[in-house]
Amino acid sequence: MVPENIRIKFHKKGRLIYISHLDLCRTVCPAMIRAKIPLWYTEGFNPHPKMVFAQPLPLFVESRCELLDIKITEPTPCEEIAKRLRQALTDDLYVEEVYPAKAKFQEIEYAKYTVCGDESFADVACGVFDSEHLTVEKKGKSGTVSTDILPQIKSVQRTGEKEFECVLSASASSYLNPMLFCKAIAEKAGIQDGEPDVRIIRTGWQKKDMSEFR
Amino acid sequence: MELEKILKKVSKPGRYTGGEYGQIIKDKEKISARVAFCFPDSYEIGMSNLGMRVLYHSLNLMPDVWCERAFSPLPDMENEMRANGIPLYALETFDSVKDFDFMAITLQYELCYTNALNLIDLAGLPLRASERDESFPLVIGGGPCTYNAEPLCEFFDAFSIGEGEEALCEMVRLYIDMKKSGRYSKKEYLRELSHINGFYVPSLYEVEYGSDGAVSAYRPLYPDVPEKVVKRIIGNMDKAPYPDKFVMPYIETVHDRITEEVYRGCIRGCRFCQAGMVYRPVREKSPDTVNDQIKCLYENTGYEEASLLSLSVSDYSELSLLTEKLLSWTDEKKVNLSLPSLRADTFSKELMERISHVRQSGLTFAPEAGTPRLRDAINKNVTEEEILSACRLAFEGGKNSVKLYFMLGLPTETEQDLAGIAALAKTVVDEYYKCEKRVKGKNVQVTVSCACFIPKPFTAFQWDAQDSIESLTEKQNYVRGLITDKRIKFNYHDARASRVEAALARGDRKMSKVLIEARKLGMSFDSWDEHFSYEKWEKAFAQAGLDMGFYANRAIPADAVLPWDMIDIGVTKAFLKREYDKSRKSEPTPNCKEKCSGCGANRLGGVTKWCPKISE
Repeated sequence: MVPENIRIKFHKKGRLIYISHLDLCRTVCPAMIRAKIPLWYTEGFNPHPKMVFAQPLPLFVESRCELLDIKITEPTPCEEIAKRLRQALTDDLYVEEVYPAKAKFQEIEYAKYTVCGDESFADVACGVFDSEHLTVEKKGKSGTVSTDILPQIKSVQRTGEKEFECVLSASASSYLNPMLFCKAIAEKAGIQDGEPDVRIIRTGWQKKDMSEFR
Repeated sequence: MELEKILKKVSKPGRYTGGEYGQIIKDKEKISARVAFCFPDSYEIGMSNLGMRVLYHSLNLMPDVWCERAFSPLPDMENEMRANGIPLYALETFDSVKDFDFMAITLQYELCYTNALNLIDLAGLPLRASERDESFPLVIGGGPCTYNAEPLCEFFDAFSIGEGEEALCEMVRLYIDMKKSGRYSKKEYLRELSHINGFYVPSLYEVEYGSDGAVSAYRPLYPDVPEKVVKRIIGNMDKAPYPDKFVMPYIETVHDRITEEVYRGCIRGCRFCQAGMVYRPVREKSPDTVNDQIKCLYENTGYEEASLLSLSVSDYSELSLLTEKLLSWTDEKKVNLSLPSLRADTFSKELMERISHVRQSGLTFAPEAGTPRLRDAINKNVTEEEILSACRLAFEGGKNSVKLYFMLGLPTETEQDLAGIAALAKTVVDEYYKCEKRVKGKNVQVTVSCACFIPKPFTAFQWDAQDSIESLTEKQNYVRGLITDKRIKFNYHDARASRVEAALARGDRKMSKVLIEARKLGMSFDSWDEHFSYEKWEKAFAQAGLDMGFYANRAIPADAVLPWDMIDIGVTKAFLKREYDKSRKSEPTPNCKEKCSGCGANRLGGVTKWCPKISE
């Protein structure tokens, strides 16, 4: 059969927030084998299963919407794949849903995050559009560069006393790391050493027209 | 939680978070004894250790026992833990090791002793066993270094000598029984533990020293304590517990693959090799057991590489049948096989073809010495022709790089033997260009790696002196000078680290003072080049009032009492002495397949293939 594109939506939480994207990639492959998923292998000199992640998740950030595309060679019901993967993974990598991959990852324009910190942190974050710029210092190969990240912030909305939701650029050409965003807010809020004590959760994806990407 | 904040500051926090697929979680309510299995090196190294995997599995087979894991935190994490008052914890529960019943520390190499002490300290335990009362866990040592654990005697309550699958379970069972019947006190327990085969309780022995400072006598303090502790072995390898799944690390470790032990022991008897003696008698698993275990592990781990482990895997009596069984399914499942310990004399074309699927750039052989004369003296019965023919096979099979391992400073070594190393490497280079079927258009790369000889307890060379650092350095320079060919790469080990290793390996109880000083100097990770400091070791010895040379560079008289004489590994001292004598005459000893040389290991029993006296 023609390999079928399957999308796996999973959570990355708990102890898994300390595991880098690269290590996650290494972890998933054996798990697929444990789950006996009929993976399609590339036909090269060094055959390996075809797997594509929507986007890497920064270290220390949780997620309820990680997306991974695989190709399978035998028709297998999605619910069956989900069930087997749940058994082959720990709860910190919970597989929420498996479905045929239709929309392309390139259509992703924004990522949505929930940030839990303290009240004053949320106050500063929600007032971010009161200023004309939000400048951060980025360390690169050619020294430190100042960048204005405000254009990459689509919206910030209060969702609780100590909690807010933000929509940040997450396309191939423009990507804002939520950790960097929180650092900028922390600096603005005058938090010492700029290390915000926050919990960040990626909760969803949006297309250019702000409709949900799945 | 404080730990969460720290984890965001240290490098590779995944080392410290546990929670992997395959870790064993139990209900604390139903547990009578908790064991923290501690590996005194990094997570990446410890998680690759087969012994740890086997014992974690064996202990957790007991429903009322829970074994968890702990590893040495790297210096950045250690600093954060100390600064924030976080003691050593086990990865499964984050519970403090201090609250466990046992702290079991595996001792794999001498240079991890400083890490072992650091673990005890980080757990919040007093270093000395005598300063730990009933409120602290029992600290038990195991692993290859316990064949001479004297330098660590003061810090450990007991040592498990030999193979631990059954012994550790008996140790924990005795503890639970005594606790339940109300008979438990640390003192009573250790006394009873000494009655179980394979347990050495150092506090139950006294040691006397002669005027020269060497051990002159040792004796048990009580009549019921055995005079000699006989090492434990597993009788039947087919029936021994073996993990059916592994804890799957999230982060990359040293060996991310299935490791399958094919047999224990070694038929060879190289005279410098401790493993070859202490793991005797040879006991094989059947090809079916090996095949089934690998298949099961493949399904439960998802690893696509399986490594066959043994001291010399090509000596496995049914290797051909085994590879046939394995290849009947591994190819289809895209599982690679690797055989890390091949001998040049048993390296066949057939074997080469069978492992050719493995993605590896080169092959490694260990001639150990440069001339046939010295190879006979160390009983590494490999001829130059065998080495060359193995290389030829590798070249014909498309390889263009070969690694050759040697040792410098071996007993009876002469300048000629050193020159032989360079000559042999050159011959291998020439062999490449003589080889018609080689891959054309590529240059050959021969890597010569020279370790320093270290006299180890329970070897024929245990009485021999190690060369001085100056002499070893001179020899390294000499060999390097002889290698002029750019296609030969020369590597060598740090002679200073080898000296410390030798001193610790042949150390006695007085050495504990050195280790205390080392702890005071904050030493750890000595097996890592970037952390090893010879100057600090010199300082630790000086402050303890001991001479490193006495332990490393002294030839021990044949009739002397050895610090490790209270341990019985099966192989007798008389056999080792015979081997020593033969080495001075450069006389080889046949391997166990060819002829029994009466090493004595068969006294221990066990189902074995190559020991004629047991087969009878």
